[in-house]
Amino acid sequence: MASSNIYVGLEIGTSKVCMVVGEVRSDGAIKILGVGQHPSAGVRKGEIVDPETVQTCLHDALMRAEERSDVEVNTVFLAVTGSHIQSLNNRGTIRVADEQMEITSEDLDEVKKIARDVPLPKENGYIHSIIQHYYVDGQDRIPNPIGMLGQKLEADYHIIHGVKTRIQNAIKCVREVPLEVEDIVFSPVAAAQVVLNREAKNEGALLIDIGGGTTDYICFVDGAVVASGCVSIGGDHITNDIALVLKIPLARAEKLKVTHGSASLKGLVDVELVVEGESGKKVSQELLNQIMNARVNELLSLVHEPLAKQGYLDRLGKGIFLTGGSSLMKGIAEVTEGIFGVPVQKSGSSSMSGPSALFENPQYATPVGLIRYAQLLEEQRPKKGRLSKLGEKIEKIFGGSR
Amino acid sequence: MIEYNQAELSDFPDRAEFGIKVIGVGGAGANVLDRMALEGSDEAELLTLNTDVRALSTSVSSEKIQLGATLLKGMGTGGDPSLGKQAAIEAVDEIRQAVRNNKMVFVCVGLGGGTGSGAAPEVCRIAREEGVFLVVFATMPFSFEGERRMEQARRALEQIGRYANAVITFDNDRMGELIVPKDGVTQAFAAADKIISQSIRATMNVVFRPGLIRIGMDDLLTALDTDDSRCLFGYGVAKGDNRSHEALEQALKCPLLDRGKLLEEAKAILIQVAGGETMTLYEVQLVMDEISKHVGKNTQILFGTGTDKRLGNSLTVTIISSINGPAASASRTSVDESREAAPSISLGMHSDAPPSLSQSTPSHEAAFNIQDYEEEEEVQPARPPVPLSRTQAQPMRDPEPEPEFEDVSPIFEPLSDENFAESTQPLPSYSPETVPAVLRKPELRALKSPVEDDADSDLRNPIARAMDAGREPDFNRPPSLGDHEPAEVDRVEAVTESSQKITLTRMVSSGNTGRIKTRDPLSASSDGPTFPQSKPPAMPREDIAPAYASDEARQQQEMLQLEPVGGKGRFAKTDPTIVDGEDLDVPTFLRKKR
Repeated sequence: MASSNIYVGLEIGTSKVCMVVGEVRSDGAIKILGVGQHPSAGVRKGEIVDPETVQTCLHDALMRAEERSDVEVNTVFLAVTGSHIQSLNNRGTIRVADEQMEITSEDLDEVKKIARDVPLPKENGYIHSIIQHYYVDGQDRIPNPIGMLGQKLEADYHIIHGVKTRIQNAIKCVREVPLEVEDIVFSPVAAAQVVLNREAKNEGALLIDIGGGTTDYICFVDGAVVASGCVSIGGDHITNDIALVLKIPLARAEKLKVTHGSASLKGLVDVELVVEGESGKKVSQELLNQIMNARVNELLSLVHEPLAKQGYLDRLGKGIFLTGGSSLMKGIAEVTEGIFGVPVQKSGSSSMSGPSALFENPQYATPVGLIRYAQLLEEQRPKKGRLSKLGEKIEKIFGGSR
Repeated sequence: MIEYNQAELSDFPDRAEFGIKVIGVGGAGANVLDRMALEGSDEAELLTLNTDVRALSTSVSSEKIQLGATLLKGMGTGGDPSLGKQAAIEAVDEIRQAVRNNKMVFVCVGLGGGTGSGAAPEVCRIAREEGVFLVVFATMPFSFEGERRMEQARRALEQIGRYANAVITFDNDRMGELIVPKDGVTQAFAAADKIISQSIRATMNVVFRPGLIRIGMDDLLTALDTDDSRCLFGYGVAKGDNRSHEALEQALKCPLLDRGKLLEEAKAILIQVAGGETMTLYEVQLVMDEISKHVGKNTQILFGTGTDKRLGNSLTVTIISSINGPAASASRTSVDESREAAPSISLGMHSDAPPSLSQSTPSHEAAFNIQDYEEEEEVQPARPPVPLSRTQAQPMRDPEPEPEFEDVSPIFEPLSDENFAESTQPLPSYSPETVPAVLRKPELRALKSPVEDDADSDLRNPIARAMDAGREPDFNRPPSLGDHEPAEVDRVEAVTESSQKITLTRMVSSGNTGRIKTRDPLSASSDGPTFPQSKPPAMPREDIAPAYASDEARQQQEMLQLEPVGGKGRFAKTDPTIVDGEDLDVPTFLRKKR
């Protein structure tokens, strides 16, 4: 299947709809073939509120992506986010049958099933169940226990779940374009695939993707996902804050934010800024920064709190990686460093070839990450075969709460 | 007989006589009582009346009265209401003794059988003669029980309606829909009992829970004030970040509400939002915003809210309303029109209320809510009524003086174990401190103790109760048409004779909150436009403000205004993002500044 290694990532973000067509070469490198994007409408806080408008945007993005990449897009990997998405860690334990001794892949499935068997709210379904580590008879951190001898097999899973109907709405919206959704991926999971390299994951890293409507984060410790989540505050809120406080239109607030605003209060030179088109209305730089600083501080505190509580922050060897459109904001790294007390770097996706200069822009971390995610799925696929994979996917999307 | 005495109004001296009694008449009534006892009722005394001594002996109520001991010799009535009536008359003195000195009596009865249909009207009559405030919860028989039993039930209901201040009927057929068909008959009846006991509790809670914006018996009557109507009742409780939303969802999911669809038809709905002290005004507002989407544009919203320490972190939403049954809708159109002409809002507080919010602990911003309702009242037009269960909230015509009631610490019970399990947990931790100080008199506590005993005895005997559950309507007994006294209910008369009701509402309000309401639902319904004197359709903020007399209350009001309503810009219409009670859609800058 020659076409099977061309993947399409789709992110319906609060600020933009972005579709990335990428090709995975035989050596595993990814080449971006084309990108279609369109300013988004009808999305609030990362979730679709007006499907029709979104479809128009989506259609536009699709056209552009197809045109640039010269690929006909049929199936996409869809990034989902939203405040309803939650995560938890759970450990499953099984006893391997006595006569068997050697751990088989069935045992892994079994332990996965047990680990996943956590009481979710009944309207929620699984989005991801990510293996953290296996433990065999108390020996920890085993990446792949198949073939090992053991009696007790334990597995830690990081489970990401969300409200089924809200996810299905996103899928439905894409299907009506019509495009088939091959899989859904929680945004930061995708972004992490390209923003964090293996080293960062192993040494511990926190990825914070500050987008337009939401801020998603995912935390890796010892090469495994230990925490992830979504705070439904993003760049839109900052713009909105500026507009409300300064009483100027949203468009001007956005411009003010991008051109003059800074999240940091340090090194502040208080000058009067002229708001464009507002007949010379003047705004103090200090006030602008204060508004932004207050919001960014609060936002990052919301991310900080659960992670600090669980003690992951001490284990971030590689520090924090900021990505997403709003990470382009001035001063944000400084503020983040102030809150988390670990080194912060802004980062987009790296190590891509193709018309890639663009894609080092942190705005594209998630859609490009989707391609990588697809590639990783593909690597795992031979183990399972395509059909069972499909079944699993269907289960995952519609599936039961099991 | 307790004479209505204007002097009593002012000083309201006699606390000893306050009490609530729940009376179960017949097998079905006893089952509901058992259910209430099982779920732990600490406020009300339970009294079971039955003819069948065997059934009586299994009841867990604290008080029991055998009806017709000589007439029936401890056997049942065999489905003959005339026997039931005779039996009740025989025990009239005992019944009178039992209801005397209670201010409020709930009677639950399963109509259709002999004891229920025959004795219940007599009990109601006696209760009214004793001047208690009487609310009847009646279940109508299953349609498969036959037309004859249904007819008996209707007659009894009609008679009861003449005596009761409010009648809430539950249709067993409708109840049946709540239960999976393959469930055993025991479960089916148990579920029905549960709903009824839940309603009784909720009614007590709504009326007696100390409120910031109070709901009184008068409001309850307004909500139920449609002839030949079906009762809509919903109750939800939830915890956590999104608790206001979840509690409302649960309330709307209650079967009698049909997911809130039926609320569109209601002319008046009563909503009480209660929570622990952590309840924020914003949460109340969320609930009310949500509710307003379900109600018709002319619906009168009777809104109340209160805090109750016992609720801990949970938040409860109770919805009580009634809509016309199909039969009533035609005959009542004229009244309907006149009513619907003037949409009105009633809050637990009125502009003409004397300044007496001082008893309420945390505070409230009534004006704030009113504004919202004004905007949001315009929702969808009402749909044609669907018959399911019936409610009668008939005006009472009894010229007798009216009872006062006592605030009793609210009872609070889950409707179904699964949905409301949380509510049971905070219950024991409740301390009477939340009851306004006036009400914490020793007498009230004394009153409680027998009930607690009762709950214990109840625990001892769950099996008996379960057995009883299956027994509810007596299938085995042949229905017979007894010699009912002709039951003509003259509703016109009821409507015009309204002085009674005024007295009632006055007594209630002065007893509980000190506010005096002059509203008279009855005269309003006959006069046309809705309650003009006390419920101006648009109650401006200035009118409300004086109601907060005490400085404390005023301060709290100001404090609550800090929660900005607008201020959300482009996020005004999205799901709010609430963390730690703060609405994150409002600029941080603005929030922190304050």
